[in-house]
Amino acid sequence: MKRYVYINDDDSTKDLYCDNRISNRKYTIVNFLPKNLWEQFSRFMNQYFLLIACLQLWSLITPVNPASTWGPLIFIFAVSATKEAWDDYNRYLSDKKANEKEVWVLRHGIKKHIQAQDIHVGNLVWLCENDEVPCDLVLIGTSDPQGLCYVETAALDGETDLKTRGVIECPSPDKDIRRFDANLRLFPPFIDNDICSLTIKNTLLQSCYLRNTEWACGVAVYTGNETKLGMSRGVPEPKLTAVDAMIDKLTGAIFVFQLVVVIVLGIAGDVWKETEAIKRWYVKYPPEGQWYELLIIPLRFELLCSIMIPISIKVSLDLVKSLYAKFIDWDIEMYDPESGTSSHAANTAISEDLGQVEYILTDKTGTLTENRMIFRRCCISGISYGNESGDAIKDVDLQNAVSTSSPDVIRFLSIMAICNTVVPTKSKSGTISYKAQSQDEDALVNAAANLHMALVSKSGNMIEINYNGSSVQYELLDTLEFTSDRKRMSVVVRDCQNGKVILMSKGADEAILPYSDPGQHTKIFSEAVEQYAQLGLRTLCLAWRELMEDEYREWSLMFKEANSTLVDREWRLAEVCQRLEHNLEILGVTAIEDRLQDGVPETIEMLRKAGVYFWMLTGDKQNTAIQIALSCNLISPEPKGQLLLIDGKTEDEVFRSLERVLLTMRITTSEPKDVAFVVDGWALEIALKHHRKAFTELAILSRTAICCRVTPSQKAQLVELLKSCDYKTLAIGDGGNDVRMIQQADIGVGISGREGLQAARAADYSIGKFRFLKRLILVHGHYSYNRTAFLSQYSFYKSLLICFIQILFSFISGVSGASLFNSVSLMAYNVFYTSIPVMVSVLDKDLSEKTVMQHPQILFYCHAGRLLNPSTFAGWFGRSLFHAIVVFVISMHAYSYEKSEMEEVAMVALSGCIWLQAFVVALETNSFTILQHLAIWGNLAAFYIINWILSALPASGMYTIMFRLCRQPAYWLTMLLIVAAGIGPVLALKYFRYTYTPSKINILQQAERLGGPILSLGNIEPQSRSFEKEVSSLSITLPKSRNSVYEPLLLDSPNSTGRSLGTVTPFDFLQSSSRLSSIYSRDYKTN
Amino acid sequence: SKFTQQELPACKPILTPKWVITAFTIVGIIFIPIGIASLSASNDVVEIVDRYETACIPEDSSGSKDAKIRFIQGNSSKTCNRTLTVPKHMKNPIYVYYQLDNFYQNHRRYVKSRNDQQLRSNDSASETDGCKPEAEANGQPIVPCGLIAWSLFNDTYNFQKNNAQLAVKKKGISWKSDRDHKFGKDVYPKNFQQGSLIGGASLNESYPLSDQEDLIVWMRTAALPTFRKLYGKIEVDLEANDVIQVTLENRYNTYSFNGKKKLVLSTTTWLGGKNDFLGIAYLAVGGLCLFLALSFTGIYFVKPR
Repeated sequence: MKRYVYINDDDSTKDLYCDNRISNRKYTIVNFLPKNLWEQFSRFMNQYFLLIACLQLWSLITPVNPASTWGPLIFIFAVSATKEAWDDYNRYLSDKKANEKEVWVLRHGIKKHIQAQDIHVGNLVWLCENDEVPCDLVLIGTSDPQGLCYVETAALDGETDLKTRGVIECPSPDKDIRRFDANLRLFPPFIDNDICSLTIKNTLLQSCYLRNTEWACGVAVYTGNETKLGMSRGVPEPKLTAVDAMIDKLTGAIFVFQLVVVIVLGIAGDVWKETEAIKRWYVKYPPEGQWYELLIIPLRFELLCSIMIPISIKVSLDLVKSLYAKFIDWDIEMYDPESGTSSHAANTAISEDLGQVEYILTDKTGTLTENRMIFRRCCISGISYGNESGDAIKDVDLQNAVSTSSPDVIRFLSIMAICNTVVPTKSKSGTISYKAQSQDEDALVNAAANLHMALVSKSGNMIEINYNGSSVQYELLDTLEFTSDRKRMSVVVRDCQNGKVILMSKGADEAILPYSDPGQHTKIFSEAVEQYAQLGLRTLCLAWRELMEDEYREWSLMFKEANSTLVDREWRLAEVCQRLEHNLEILGVTAIEDRLQDGVPETIEMLRKAGVYFWMLTGDKQNTAIQIALSCNLISPEPKGQLLLIDGKTEDEVFRSLERVLLTMRITTSEPKDVAFVVDGWALEIALKHHRKAFTELAILSRTAICCRVTPSQKAQLVELLKSCDYKTLAIGDGGNDVRMIQQADIGVGISGREGLQAARAADYSIGKFRFLKRLILVHGHYSYNRTAFLSQYSFYKSLLICFIQILFSFISGVSGASLFNSVSLMAYNVFYTSIPVMVSVLDKDLSEKTVMQHPQILFYCHAGRLLNPSTFAGWFGRSLFHAIVVFVISMHAYSYEKSEMEEVAMVALSGCIWLQAFVVALETNSFTILQHLAIWGNLAAFYIINWILSALPASGMYTIMFRLCRQPAYWLTMLLIVAAGIGPVLALKYFRYTYTPSKINILQQAERLGGPILSLGNIEPQSRSFEKEVSSLSITLPKSRNSVYEPLLLDSPNSTGRSLGTVTPFDFLQSSSRLSSIYSRDYKTN
Repeated sequence: SKFTQQELPACKPILTPKWVITAFTIVGIIFIPIGIASLSASNDVVEIVDRYETACIPEDSSGSKDAKIRFIQGNSSKTCNRTLTVPKHMKNPIYVYYQLDNFYQNHRRYVKSRNDQQLRSNDSASETDGCKPEAEANGQPIVPCGLIAWSLFNDTYNFQKNNAQLAVKKKGISWKSDRDHKFGKDVYPKNFQQGSLIGGASLNESYPLSDQEDLIVWMRTAALPTFRKLYGKIEVDLEANDVIQVTLENRYNTYSFNGKKKLVLSTTTWLGGKNDFLGIAYLAVGGLCLFLALSFTGIYFVKPR
């Protein structure tokens, strides 16, 4: 559907389109509660807890006061709702600020001040310098023919008649910010019946700022939430980390376990009731029950066991995760003083996945390199300049050639100065500065200026060049824009001195050389390109052609027509451009250096040591890419490394070359050799389309890959491919062409670099420099993973502990589903007593930052969920069962006979749990800061204080209980016994493992803290990931490590986590998506 | 700050052999004396336990379970005489307990069947929430309502030493806090044991609940199916070989579920009544710790790592 925008005509379109009120709000005051509740209840866990809470309202089956579930449930809901409300309120405030901003609007020729929200489609909006654009505008006039609005003035011929009436035909709102295919017709009368084509270049998009222009005026075409920005806004799909997936899986497993317990105990309870309870007159069971009587006991057990799934785990995890993110934001060592940007974690939920990264896909330009281009060498008509000095500008030969006005050199330099979209601005002092979108153009124009061919001004269509002090003028006729498909740009200019029409082109060699004049020998240029690429320089070929007047006129019509098509404009334009760009005379080759960023080789080497696979995806030439890869340690030079090339133009050729590479790769996996493959965009496309399976296998085998000449969508495809094999991918880039890859990857990192902030905005993390990546992954990723692994398993442990005690108690209470603990204790146990000490585990560091950085191998060691997997979880499960037995047996025996009063025994058992918790947390903490001591021991003290307060209230069931207990020596002796009996075996086992079968982490801990040398860390670098190996390791079931249940298992060999898979098949329950499918079995999927 | 940079000064203990072995040794050294002290405290307690529920049934009724139930529910005399011999000198106060085995006071249906508000004040005398199935009788609310009160233990004991009455003090056997705050001074039993089925003891309607100490003791439910409840205190010393005659009324029905009834006379120490568990457990844990310390030392010398 087309939209007709009547310029400056309030009445006809006022009601047709929405006004400019921006609303990013998710909720309104009215719908907040229902909508938020609905969202929260769409999660399985919350539905489950709600069901439990509702069941508890049935007093016949509830073991405890309903408050013990409703309390935490409401608390947790309130916390999430408050967070949502706060976020939404902030959004409302920023919307309000934007909506109420005063803007100037022209109504019937008069400038009026209105609020931004009152702008309607068709209004003329007047912007002053540094104003933010309030909605999508089609620019119709500015103060300055130059400046930001240069293209627009050209398109409208500088027409700034503000009483303009006309109509803009434009497509319906969409979110593509690179396309705007519209037409402008002015009336009355239709000037020459002329249709003016409008492109995205003619628009000012919302939220841009007007710079260097005194004023600008535009017609509102899209307003409010229909702007390009508004349409592309949208909630990005939440990313789920491997740890989250594992937690969900474990929750599912616990849920199954709980069902089994409920069914078994429910049946046992019913049997006991029918055979035993019926005889007990004091229980007074009626002889004939209701039909639902049989269900009551199982339901009671369901309620009793519902605490098995920790209700607070999501809240605690959210809380600590936002702290991890804050730590990243705060980190001084990731602050880039050069650009003044600190790192930022936009996505707070995925920090622990940083420690799980297996593949890093990196962009080259701007990411590995600085994207600060310097013109270094050139080759003009076969003569190379700058080869000796490494700087062509200082090359005496070239300077001589310029001063002698060698015609080839002059033409070469004028193309450098003219064939671009650079805008020169003259400051008051007379110095000329250039504003360029592309760093390459900037480098070329500056170099030309240094060689006395200075671009002085572009005003209207006139281009003024200052050559050796004399002014030369050109009239710019057409600009054939650069697109990533065409890989070249051209301009058509008229030389004002002799009236000749000239086509000037510059572009990548393969986009220029094939279109050269058949008579010209291009070999010399392709050799030069080759040579420069070897040095890691970026090359551009410059060419020109004189056009016949008729030829140009004919073509110009076609061009204009193509320019105003609404459909497929880009494609049509490319086709038309192609008709002009042929028979070119190649003038020469420029070579531009793009320096590596600081610390790139070290970072790459370190991360490779950590077992991360590196892929470089670049739009650059193969040779340039390889050179950069060599200089940043991505690949090793010949004897050590081997580079395999996949090329070919046809399907067959690509397949053969792929097969060959694959064969070599399979053979060399066992050798300690760095093998990498190189593929270009063309071959990649064929490989992805027709030989996906072979290519996937190659992707898994190869530690390094260089993909050159790839498009943004291919980058995203490669990420997708690796993700489909269940690898954790991290994509890092800086430019708009990396956005798709960044969004696609498990973790997207953006470098807030010179190519703008597009990538940084789309990314989960933004950093200032590539070298911060190692700290982000090694330090923050490692810590976050360790902390979350502990926190989540501990949450399960403490919930299971209290639940096991309840289950054990049911065996001595006639399997009737009675609760040992009272409601208050149960509620406080989950919410206060056990959640605070574990929170400070966000400060825990298993190894110092220095050690982690020195031994990046530890990252690989933590891959594949080593600290959080069914096997470690079994350890925690066993520990909670053991501790439950210890607490139960000791408190029941120490408080038997005349002391076996319910409230007292319950309090003894509860205190026993709290004491054990404190010691378990202390035992699992690797580094104690003052905060940890405060939280662990302070919490223990708080437990007593809270219970003393409760014991002082006559109305509470616990009245006087704690005071009585604290006066009894037996109570304190019982506590001491529980702690010793519960912690002793755990400590002994931990010590034994620590000393005799230490994990890599333990070895490093010992080395770090005792100062000794590292005895043998061994080579834990991944050797190979062949499929045969994977499959065989999966078939081995029953791991030996099963006997140790009291300790979270820290397994040694990288394969043992894979092995344990056989025993944990029931844990596959509740897999919500294929992404969750076991990260241990790297099933090789072809899809 | 140091917090934001995660650089708070931290102490990073690791499990060195020295540290672990020392810890186990210290625990062992502390635990064994405590164990010995607890055991000796438990041994100092003099305890007389007399199981009487089978002995107190006349020969003709002791055949089958049904016969026993018929006897206990019948009207025949339930008086029974028992003789206890004091093994050692028992210093006063001597606590008299009754012990019930296999009696589930912690059963879900039983333990919840009470109304604390009703017990606390007269204003809510008609509150019988949660008391089912002993909430009302003859259309009137029962005070105290619920299964716990209804099943109040009703065996009584009478002690004689050398044919002289041995006084058993029944005052002050319950928790003071219960008398003061949980059982109201203005709440009188009403409509109690008037239903079709009579459970246990009746209450004297002229005393308020705060004075009905047997009820208060009974309503502190036990967490274990085997429990003792205080019946009274004997405030004179008993010498070794003293013979005590007990005349008891065996009224409470434990026969239908094969429950045992025991009469217990016991002294007490700093650790409470007779209970060897803590002592033995302390010795065991202490011994185990010492053993672990020793074996870790041994292993350490053979194979440091």
